[in-house]
Amino acid sequence: MVADKEQIMIESQLKVVGKILSAFSHELNNHLAVIKESAGLIEDILNFNKSFKGAGKENLKAFQSIENHITNTSWLCEQLGNFGHKMDEPLASFDVNESINELLVLLGRIAKQKGIIFEKDFQDNVPLIYSNPSKLQFLIFCFIDKNLNRFERNGSIIFKTSYSHSSITIKILTRGEVTETGERDICPDEIHEYVARRLRGNIVREDGGIAITLPVSISSEADAHD
Amino acid sequence: MFGKKKDIKVLLVDDEVEFVDTLAQRLKMRELLVDTVYDGKQALSFIKKTEPDVIVLDLKMPELHGIDVLREIKKSKAHIQVIILTGHGTDKDEEEARKLGGFDFLRKPADIDLLVAKIKEAFAEKLERAMTAITFAEEGVTDTAKRIIRKEE
Repeated sequence: MVADKEQIMIESQLKVVGKILSAFSHELNNHLAVIKESAGLIEDILNFNKSFKGAGKENLKAFQSIENHITNTSWLCEQLGNFGHKMDEPLASFDVNESINELLVLLGRIAKQKGIIFEKDFQDNVPLIYSNPSKLQFLIFCFIDKNLNRFERNGSIIFKTSYSHSSITIKILTRGEVTETGERDICPDEIHEYVARRLRGNIVREDGGIAITLPVSISSEADAHD
Repeated sequence: MFGKKKDIKVLLVDDEVEFVDTLAQRLKMRELLVDTVYDGKQALSFIKKTEPDVIVLDLKMPELHGIDVLREIKKSKAHIQVIILTGHGTDKDEEEARKLGGFDFLRKPADIDLLVAKIKEAFAEKLERAMTAITFAEEGVTDTAKRIIRKEE
């Protein structure tokens, strides 16, 4: 009973975090939209008004730069918002490639700091799957985190997806010199297996990586004691 | 082909006053006829009096959600084109908006040139539909006339 309540509490907490993330990123987007339109209006005035022609070239470049940065920031906000929304429902239809990509975008800064490169080799036209998107992202995050701590600069983490026989396989492979950073993994190995089982999938550990295989559709998550 | 930009009447509906006013100025500079309202209720009473060609509609607004506004517009004035422009859009919202007959779904902040292009596309589609309706109506009249003539013969 206590364990059930604990489980409900953790899931509710995650939903709260997701809601705050998505609401916050949307709010940021609103402010960015006002900034973009205001910068755009000044740019328009410089462009449309003949008396500003010539004198405004440098200004126009600056406004273009503002607009580009707003566009990039807004796109990052959108990724953060989508990430937050993944916690809305326990089961949903989603695109695996898109979900991995979203995670890689959000972890881009950490990877850059550590000098690790993310490489993608996604199969095209992978069908949408019906499963728990936030748990899958969590599982993939665990492997990324583990490898970010294991490799020296210029190492790579490679993500491959493929679809066959009603299941999707996500391979996470690594390349580079292994090092000991002393940093502890956020999530212990046994949790990886546990999460994969909950998603009715399995994990195969191979040389230099892992392969997660998931069914295309599940009607519910497996019981914790399965 | 479908007339000048000045012919296109646009209604902007958004509760972010600063955003909507600035956007209106920019669209006017691009020779569109623009009106603004700041919530869904105002939008619905506006279209009772005046008919814009294209409505650019936000989703998350106080009192009436954009999806409900879209539903109401499509019930009473289905020929008005609606483009959703939102900072709060989920894939679910997009699916719902398209199902209800929304012309397009853009996320804030959108590029002004893209927005203008979408407005023009929406207007062109509105005109095309109106032309098709007139043609059908004319064909209907002709058929009726022919039937009357045949009867008289």
